[in-house]
Amino acid sequence: MSSVPVHSATWPTASEWFFLAPVLLLACWGLLVLLLDVLAFRRRVSPTQRAKLLNSISLAGAFAALGLSVLLLSPGWLSTDVLAANEAIFNGTISLDAASALLQVVVIGFLVLVISFSNTWRFTESLSEYYALLFWSAVGMVLLIEAEEFMTLFVALETMTISMYLLTALETRARRSAEAALKYFIYGSVASALFLFGLSWIYGLTGTTNLEAVGRSLAEPGLAAGIGGQWTAGSALLLVLAGFGFKVALVPFHQWAPDVYEGAPAPVAGWIAAGSKFASFIALIKVLILALGSWSSPPGQPESPGWIAILAVLAVVSMTYGNLAALGQQNFKRLLAYSSIAHTGYLLVGVVAIGVSTQRAGATAAVLYYLCLYGLATLGTFAVAAWLARDLGSDQIEDLNGLGYRSPLLAFCLSILLLSLIGIPPLAGFFGKMAMFMEALNTGPSGKISLTWLVAIALVNNVISAFYYVRILKAMYLRAAAGSGRASGASLPSGVAWTLMLAAVANLGLGLYPSAFFAPLEGVAISLVTPHGPDGTDRGPRFAAPGSPPRDRHEPEQARIVAASPAASPHH
Amino acid sequence: MMSHDIPLNWYLVLAAGLFMIGLFGVMTRRNPIALLMSIELMLNASNLNLLAFWRLGTPHPGEGPLSGVVFVALVIGVAAAEVAVGIALILVCYRIWKSADVDRYDTMLG
Repeated sequence: MSSVPVHSATWPTASEWFFLAPVLLLACWGLLVLLLDVLAFRRRVSPTQRAKLLNSISLAGAFAALGLSVLLLSPGWLSTDVLAANEAIFNGTISLDAASALLQVVVIGFLVLVISFSNTWRFTESLSEYYALLFWSAVGMVLLIEAEEFMTLFVALETMTISMYLLTALETRARRSAEAALKYFIYGSVASALFLFGLSWIYGLTGTTNLEAVGRSLAEPGLAAGIGGQWTAGSALLLVLAGFGFKVALVPFHQWAPDVYEGAPAPVAGWIAAGSKFASFIALIKVLILALGSWSSPPGQPESPGWIAILAVLAVVSMTYGNLAALGQQNFKRLLAYSSIAHTGYLLVGVVAIGVSTQRAGATAAVLYYLCLYGLATLGTFAVAAWLARDLGSDQIEDLNGLGYRSPLLAFCLSILLLSLIGIPPLAGFFGKMAMFMEALNTGPSGKISLTWLVAIALVNNVISAFYYVRILKAMYLRAAAGSGRASGASLPSGVAWTLMLAAVANLGLGLYPSAFFAPLEGVAISLVTPHGPDGTDRGPRFAAPGSPPRDRHEPEQARIVAASPAASPHH
Repeated sequence: MMSHDIPLNWYLVLAAGLFMIGLFGVMTRRNPIALLMSIELMLNASNLNLLAFWRLGTPHPGEGPLSGVVFVALVIGVAAAEVAVGIALILVCYRIWKSADVDRYDTMLG
């Protein structure tokens, strides 16, 4: 194979390892929790004590990782300033930039909240396995956000999802938990297979797996014609979208979501709804913009074949189906599942906006803002579900009857979250939706009217969604509790209270002062959707030109692995 | 490229055929083990694609010599993990329902 270019890979430097420190800590902490449980707790400590100990140890680990990831944001810890950096590390597989540094803080923050209300009630005896899997799925999420290359992305996606299948099955006493896990597994694996087949075609068309190199290859004249004329490109795009569609619960790939949300233990369902959707959406944005950007649509015609048109249609279907199906639900978690499907639709409007908007940074920031607040609001509502499950052993909407009188503060917090999910003005949900929809209209002079219909349908859907959220409010404030024997709210677990209060305060505060979060987000968002170099020359040694020395931002104490490089190898 | 090689298209057609058989199996079979086999078929179709493109396609300038093979090795690892988890979940369901038919597992609606 003489056509293979000279190529060398370098051993990552200390600074590069340090950027991954939070992830490495999480991965090791998962093992530590497992070992401690087997060696020290399982036989010698009472079951209640064991649950408490494991929860505290896991919480400590998650807080440590959170602290590390926050530290990484401040300058001076790495050899480059993270907030100004825009580069790829680990031989071009992981991105080191402001967006990935900030988003990893958010994911680990979600993990802290999920762990904090995991101890609400004991749904399983496999506690150490539960916490270890939570840690490892978080590892998958962070790497998914930071992946710069399809192999890394695929493995991270699978690490996340395979842990999720097992977490879903952990409520060992409930039949529906095992059933939900098997359904999740089957749908999820088929989705992975579709996604992988699409990736193999993209690899074939471009000869590379790197997102930005794929993007540059596809921009060349032969492939840039869009997907209309080329059936291979078209099927590759559809397969990749199908794979992501399953992960973010997009109609028509949503069938798993209601069953899994209902069947999984509440903290796990919250983790799937907040964390998994968050990471998958960011990976989707990166793949679409960085790699498949030239398949978005033919120039100047955003509604012609391409992912903009496909996603716009799927967004409409998803919103409408999710909202209409949610209207008839009696189970609180199932209702949240349909609400999550509808929110996938709203977020897709934002993704389309990134594709069409003249202000790409603003549009990306709007989607990230909405993802963060949606994640927090969802975790808050699932914390309530966990609490219902503990006190009543069920999670129907009618179990919330009279909550407004029994625990006013809790009901008030939940009301704020629900109103924010509807998008009522002073709350963050309103601002996030408005920002995304405005960017979808902000297409510049060429296509000003083109996406008005999409935004109009999204607004109508918002009105529909108000009906089912208001049903929950009605249950809390206008109905009396069924009977004192089934009343809930005697003692509120602190994890649930914290999660709920934090989510409510964030949704209220960031709604009143949106720019406090939006402005910095706008500053970092652009690094998520900007290629690291115009031609890949400054992307690190993986892309070094033949014969040229590896770029040494990091000093040459690094061990250098030289592969297939007769010029540089000492053995020749 | 060497002229006596099997042309790239033949591999691609074979892989697409395997993939469609797997997809058909996923849609029609109701036995969870058969579903697992169909999923494996789809994953291996992708592997065949990746290997054919790696061996016979044109690499991107600057791309290392191994990406296709490394990808396949990773996919084999992921597939093994998936099967391990899948069999475990199927066993749990089998113990509850005493049946290997995914249509029987219907505690929840739709």
